[in-house]
Amino acid sequence: MLNTLIFVVLPYVALALVLVVTPYRFFTNRLGWTAYSTQFLERRTLYWGINPWHYGIILILLAHLAGIVAPGVMKRILGNKDALIILESIGLGLGLLALFGSVILLLRRANSTTLKRLTLVSDWVLLFLLIAQTATGVYISLFMRWGSQWYLHTVVPYFYSLISFNPQLEYMADFPLIFKLHAAGAFLIVALLPFTKLVHMIYQPFTFLKDPPILYRWHSKPKERVG
Amino acid sequence: MDVRAQLVMVFNLDKCIGCHACSISCKNIWTDRKGAEYMWWNNVETRPGVGYPKKWEDQEEYKGGWVADGTNLRLKAMGKGPTLLNMFFQPNMPKLEDYYEPFDFDYGNLYGAKGGDDQPVAEAFSQISREKMAHIKAGPNWDDDLSGSQVYAAADVNLEEKKIIEQYSTMFMHYLPRHCNHCANPACVASCPSRAIYKRGEDGVVLVDQEVCKGWRFCTSACPYKKVYFNWNSGKAEKCIYCFPRTETGQCNVCAHSCVGRIRFVGVLLYDAEKVEQALLKPDDQLVAAQRAVILDPRDEAVREGARKNGMPEQWLEAAEKSPVYTLIKEFELALPLHPEFRTMPMAYYIPSLSPVLTSGGELHELVEHGTIPTREALRAPIGYLASLFGGGNKEVVASALEKLIALRIHMRAKNLDQPADEAILKGAGLDEAGAKRLYRLFTVGGYNERNVIPAQQREDLDSHTRKGAGGFGILKKTGRGK
Repeated sequence: MLNTLIFVVLPYVALALVLVVTPYRFFTNRLGWTAYSTQFLERRTLYWGINPWHYGIILILLAHLAGIVAPGVMKRILGNKDALIILESIGLGLGLLALFGSVILLLRRANSTTLKRLTLVSDWVLLFLLIAQTATGVYISLFMRWGSQWYLHTVVPYFYSLISFNPQLEYMADFPLIFKLHAAGAFLIVALLPFTKLVHMIYQPFTFLKDPPILYRWHSKPKERVG
Repeated sequence: MDVRAQLVMVFNLDKCIGCHACSISCKNIWTDRKGAEYMWWNNVETRPGVGYPKKWEDQEEYKGGWVADGTNLRLKAMGKGPTLLNMFFQPNMPKLEDYYEPFDFDYGNLYGAKGGDDQPVAEAFSQISREKMAHIKAGPNWDDDLSGSQVYAAADVNLEEKKIIEQYSTMFMHYLPRHCNHCANPACVASCPSRAIYKRGEDGVVLVDQEVCKGWRFCTSACPYKKVYFNWNSGKAEKCIYCFPRTETGQCNVCAHSCVGRIRFVGVLLYDAEKVEQALLKPDDQLVAAQRAVILDPRDEAVREGARKNGMPEQWLEAAEKSPVYTLIKEFELALPLHPEFRTMPMAYYIPSLSPVLTSGGELHELVEHGTIPTREALRAPIGYLASLFGGGNKEVVASALEKLIALRIHMRAKNLDQPADEAILKGAGLDEAGAKRLYRLFTVGGYNERNVIPAQQREDLDSHTRKGAGGFGILKKTGRGK
């Protein structure tokens, strides 16, 4: 029952919400599409929270993604024992970095009257959820060793079964509860993404990298006009 | 030649009385909102002083604007790669305390207080945290009229000799009204990774697209004039919009419209967009001349042809011909850009101030007794100070503007008193009778339509889809956070 909820219902609900609500929000009102930075009001503590958090979590997320996108390559790399140990250690370090950052961010919000007034329920929910998610992740990498290895043989095939609409629970059913909580947290965060400030993740500065520095916009009819 | 039109404002600093009418009218129309309380898209500073936000000119601290390294212009703060790595935390962004904590007073207490022995008071509270504020520590014009000059004026980065503001006999001041310069080479536009800030092709106005802005805050750091603000409620950047709903219909910006001293002139300037970057590679002291060289003569047939090729309407060319700002900036070379060395090519220009005209050498009242106007060497405001503000350090460009203003005064004074006018004085400053007459009209009796020549946007030239879609009833969608 719990397995069906976490590994079948939750992921499909999350996916449906992301696919439907995100474009709906994009096309109806983009005025709230921002990270709601509070650096302007408080920057000293923020520095020690926001940087560790982002640098840690982005790389960790990319590592999770790499296993799904290129399982063959990852298997080959992690087949080497030295590479496995080095990558696992780096992963654990980044996880701890992200955990440190997110806890700082929580304490920062809790201790400032100015920030508290600007903090919505959704901000608190996200902060606690992200901290819990990072903490379970760190626990798994510490006490369920070689996660990067077994991830490729359990989570990745399960993920492919999800995508092909044929969810195979047997890959996940026998994991301990803490791992199931980690998975549930991940799907929950994905489900909340389109409703909260997390939408700031969906943004890629590709045009910025190739654009000329000064951007012009013409309102009148285009007549052989450039730049 | 790539001829573009730019709406430009010129400020005659001699006439600014520092009344803040411009700031107030701007605040009433545009920034009287939650999240924007601390923003003054238009503000008036007393010079010497630290300005708003404090010490905004100090680019060693804020890293705004561009630097030229021989063959290239690059943003002073960071390139594109570091931009992506600094998205989470802005190292150079001014914080709230650099502006001031916006406050209001609890007037309700005057009516609602319980009966007691003491008069009820309206206590100050923060407009952000809503907490009571025991001490108000700063405001948008905290050092107005040189108040606290030992702390504020002394910290002015343009001031070489701090001593002159310590003595009553050498002290000087003038006002400096500032809004977004709508630069020809805007650093805010270049720094935005979301590509939300853009320069409008038709009139050169620089705007932030609120739908595209993701609140990464690079613009607030990159603008060397600190005229892009972060709205703490909406989580996005905002800036002066040049009152485009007014200028699009040929009306004057509200700051210029409300100006009591009638110090502002608004008009069209034509410039060659191809030459902008080349001009900005020049050394600091040649930047004023280089910037003037980029401005094109609207009466030149080749320029008009180029403008038409770029789709400029005839009404805009007509307005460019009658433009008071072209007269002041290019024809008479009186108006100068503010801090051209930031290399954004600012498109707001300032006529440097003669006041206070009393000489610093000798008796204070000597001049009044002699009934004359001082030479520029005897002016109280040090020319080096003005050159640091308006000349990129070049004293000559400032001096030549001041010479013209002095010559104009001497000439007009003689005329008013029916004394023989000395043509040589005008000639010496590079003016003639007709030019003096034109300037005199602009500076004194010139009416609204002489000071402001603003062509409306041509509705028939606009794409009908964007015209209908973009011209609306304001923002109806929900913005900002819930509370």
